Amino acid sequence: MVRRLMVLLSAMLIASPSFAQSAQDLEQRLKELQAKLSAIDEMKREIDILTQEIETLKSGATKKAVEADQAQYGMGAAASKVYRTDAGVSIGGYGEFAYDNPRHDIARADLLRGVLYTGYKFSPRVLFNSELEVEHGTTENKGGDGAEGGAVGLEFAYLDYLIRPEANVRAGVMLMPVGLINEQHEPTAYFGVHRPLVEDAIIPTTWSEMGAGIFGDKGALTYRAYVTTGLDSSRFESESGIHEGKQSGASAKAEDLAIVARADWHPFEGTMFGGSIYNGGSGQGARTEDGQRIKGRVRLAEVHADSKFRGASLRALFARGSIGDAALINERNGLEGDESIGKSFGGWYLEGGYDLASRANISITPYVRYERLDTQRSVPAGFERNPENNQRIFTAGFAFKPISQTVVKIDWQRAKNQAHTGDNRWNIGLGYIF
Amino acid sequence: MTQDQALASAFPNAKPARQTFFLTKQQLDAARQESGVDFREQLVIRYATPAGFAYFDSHRVRTLPETVMIVVTPDGKVARVEILSFDEPTDYFPKRRWLDQLLGRHLDADLSLKGAVRPISGASLTGQAIVNATRKVLALHHVLAGVAPK
Repeated sequence: MVRRLMVLLSAMLIASPSFAQSAQDLEQRLKELQAKLSAIDEMKREIDILTQEIETLKSGATKKAVEADQAQYGMGAAASKVYRTDAGVSIGGYGEFAYDNPRHDIARADLLRGVLYTGYKFSPRVLFNSELEVEHGTTENKGGDGAEGGAVGLEFAYLDYLIRPEANVRAGVMLMPVGLINEQHEPTAYFGVHRPLVEDAIIPTTWSEMGAGIFGDKGALTYRAYVTTGLDSSRFESESGIHEGKQSGASAKAEDLAIVARADWHPFEGTMFGGSIYNGGSGQGARTEDGQRIKGRVRLAEVHADSKFRGASLRALFARGSIGDAALINERNGLEGDESIGKSFGGWYLEGGYDLASRANISITPYVRYERLDTQRSVPAGFERNPENNQRIFTAGFAFKPISQTVVKIDWQRAKNQAHTGDNRWNIGLGYIF
Repeated sequence: MTQDQALASAFPNAKPARQTFFLTKQQLDAARQESGVDFREQLVIRYATPAGFAYFDSHRVRTLPETVMIVVTPDGKVARVEILSFDEPTDYFPKRRWLDQLLGRHLDADLSLKGAVRPISGASLTGQAIVNATRKVLALHHVLAGVAPK
């Protein structure tokens, strides 16, 4: 009886208008829920598309391999290839400012140099690189009174033809592969407000000449060997040695050429031992008044070592050179007595520093450097050495890099020479690269 | 090398599963702190196999970008580093020997140019960029441990 009553009541409920209304609501809500679920699925699909496209943009994967089916020049990972389809302009630069306060001379503030690098990648195998430099602020600065004049020049401009890691070709105005500073002379790459004097008066940094040559690396060895225009001895001096004889492709005299070769051995990453040799005429067709041809063969050899590990940096360099026909060059240049150029010249330096900052992104590095040089180790018979050119310089200071691309340096230099006329000075430097 | 080629080279016997993550602010802050690298991207994409996880990172070296693939083992060690694209002059391209220093490393103080990783002579910015990318990837990998992909 009760069961019959329950069935009757259920039938009445189902058949009633209110129950029909609830069912309709439920169906409607189910439909709405299905629509929302479809919309969410569609959103997920669209998000997936967006993440794929963001990933593509970030990785540059839209660039196609230029020669995807050929092994390309790659100095690094065996399975990696450098590729670009589009012409590629690269721009970089660096700059240095210095404040020098000598004890016995006036203080100076100088925009030592502002440099712009521009490069162009024609293809993965053909590249152009150049460096345009402005020295000492402006060419309207003519120098004098102990100051150097402003200058604008192309430090280098060359084309690279990349063939294989072991052998490639370079031609144009190239940095001479001599010493530790000449090819890597950005302010963040060396200690000291000023570059070592050995790598100025003995190795005439920044030294570039026009020529052509080969370069490459094989395992732990890297090398460069060029044929270039020789130096011009008409500008050799006693104090600066061969420094002013650089030609840098500026309507360079090419009667005398030179060869230069360098090899570096990297036994493990961060450490390098190497050396270079230079041999070239510097007479450039000049003759003395009595018609004697000046060959002026310049020979320069140096060995160097550079090591960086766990915040410590050490560098050492030893260089020796000679100038043939030094007496004839003196005669042609009108140099007498102790103004003579050196028949032989040389120098060495040792420097070290340690990064005290444990945080990888900043650097606080105290450093010291000791160098000895003499641009007149010997002079031709009948001439004299100037004891001021026999120098010893001690430098001690700090380099602070708030980021790896900028540096503030403060150092003190004690300069002594055999004539006891050396001066001490404080220097402050600011440098940047980008 | 394209991304697909890099993945095929890294995982020749497996088809990697693409995984997408959207970091919360807390996860992003944790990864930045752990890596010591300043980055802001909250979208992380990786390619997963039982043998390891491949991450791709694009960043600036000096003025131009490079893209690097870093493969991480399930226990958070560097298994492989490959450079897919490098737009700076070739003088700054790191040698294989230098990249091999990163293999087998965990995220710790030694994974640094001031630690056990020796710098690249003449290309300090390249070395710093790749070390930063490696630290960033290892930190992200750690933060994403146990997180389900979208």
